[in-house]
Amino acid sequence: MSQLNDIKQRIEEKIKADGLDAKEVKGKIGLRSGKVLAFISASTPDDPEAIAKLKQAAKEVLNLYL
Amino acid sequence: MKWNSIRTKVLAALVACLIVGVGCMLALMHYSFERNAQVLAAESVTGSQKLFTILEAREISKMTAVSEALIMNPQVRDGFVAKDRTRLLELTAPLYSSVKREGVTNWMFHTPEPDMTVFLRLHNPPKFGDHLNRFMDKEVVRTHAMVTGNELARAGFAVRILRPFYDSQGGVTGYVEFGEELGQFIHAMKNQTGNDYGLLLSKKFMDRQFWADSSAVWKRRDNWDDNPSFVVADKTTASDSIIRFDGDLSAVPDQGKVLERFQEGNSVFVRGIFPIRDAAGNTVGAMFVVRDISSFYLAMRRTRAILVILTVAVLTLGMLFVLTLLTRLVFRRLEHIIVVATRVVGGDYESEIQVSSDDEVGQFEQLFEQFRRVFVDVMAHVPELQEKG
Repeated sequence: MSQLNDIKQRIEEKIKADGLDAKEVKGKIGLRSGKVLAFISASTPDDPEAIAKLKQAAKEVLNLYL
Repeated sequence: MKWNSIRTKVLAALVACLIVGVGCMLALMHYSFERNAQVLAAESVTGSQKLFTILEAREISKMTAVSEALIMNPQVRDGFVAKDRTRLLELTAPLYSSVKREGVTNWMFHTPEPDMTVFLRLHNPPKFGDHLNRFMDKEVVRTHAMVTGNELARAGFAVRILRPFYDSQGGVTGYVEFGEELGQFIHAMKNQTGNDYGLLLSKKFMDRQFWADSSAVWKRRDNWDDNPSFVVADKTTASDSIIRFDGDLSAVPDQGKVLERFQEGNSVFVRGIFPIRDAAGNTVGAMFVVRDISSFYLAMRRTRAILVILTVAVLTLGMLFVLTLLTRLVFRRLEHIIVVATRVVGGDYESEIQVSSDDEVGQFEQLFEQFRRVFVDVMAHVPELQEKG
């Protein structure tokens, strides 16, 4: 399973759990990490740099430590 | 507040403009006050100098008129010709009391040259027979005509007239002199102008014993030792600040000069000085002029306070106006673009940017909306791309 996709799912779970505006939060994370979450799927190949940026964006926007 | 935002930078620039504006206004007010205080002080010096000259001329006219009446009096003339001091004193003492009330402080009869001694002093009858040997004495002997001017004598510094006294045949039998203490002038000047005055006399032209004698005659404190180079003949205020002076009296220019502005308690004053010359043209003293400019100073401070409040209020309103304008025209529209861009990236393909104007931000809104449509179109084909991939 793609690690990027795993992170994406953890982010979506957190948004759902906190009852946040999914499109706004995903947009912020996407802009900060440079990765559009809609483009990430199970087949997306892992890229260490993209993973680090996505984790950092999740921490800044959602206070989610991955 | 974001320190690197345009809003913060604009606000900082506006606050800086406010501070600079208020600072410039305060500096301008200070300069204006200094200049006006200088003009007021210069006016006080010039006006006082003119008033002094007018009073001097008026008193000379008065003493001339009295002397004319005296010369025409045959009893006085005969008493003087006969050198009958007792008779002359009897005849003139009542008149002296009258003229003394009008300000005449000195009245003397002098014997003719070559001796020219004091024959009778109405203001100090027991003292006579002394030689004065002043500039005016020499001038009246040389010209046999009336001489006027300021002259130091045993009784002090006075504006005087000295004129020949003729017998019935027209020969000079002696001289008569009237004088008015210059110290008296300053009280009249204060009454007319409200300014304070101080009359200083240079010790260089005075005799220590002269001053002690005149102090005794006029029943005033002998203040010879109070200052190193001058004595205070009179002043209209108890304060000594009026006569603070370290310079050389003879160096004071003819037109006078402004000295400084100073504060005493809640009052603000400007001070000036002009020279006093004797009949020979020597600068024997100086007159200090002190003008109270407290009301002007208070008015200036009030104006300054009003101007500061007005400036701050107007500039603050200006700042608010500029910030509101920038918020409406730029910041709010940029924030909307950011919100839409964020939501589009987050998957909200329905959010659109409404182009609200054709200004610079409007052009950017239009460009961004076109970009958004392209992005949405690309996103719509993502599954196809993935399937193709």
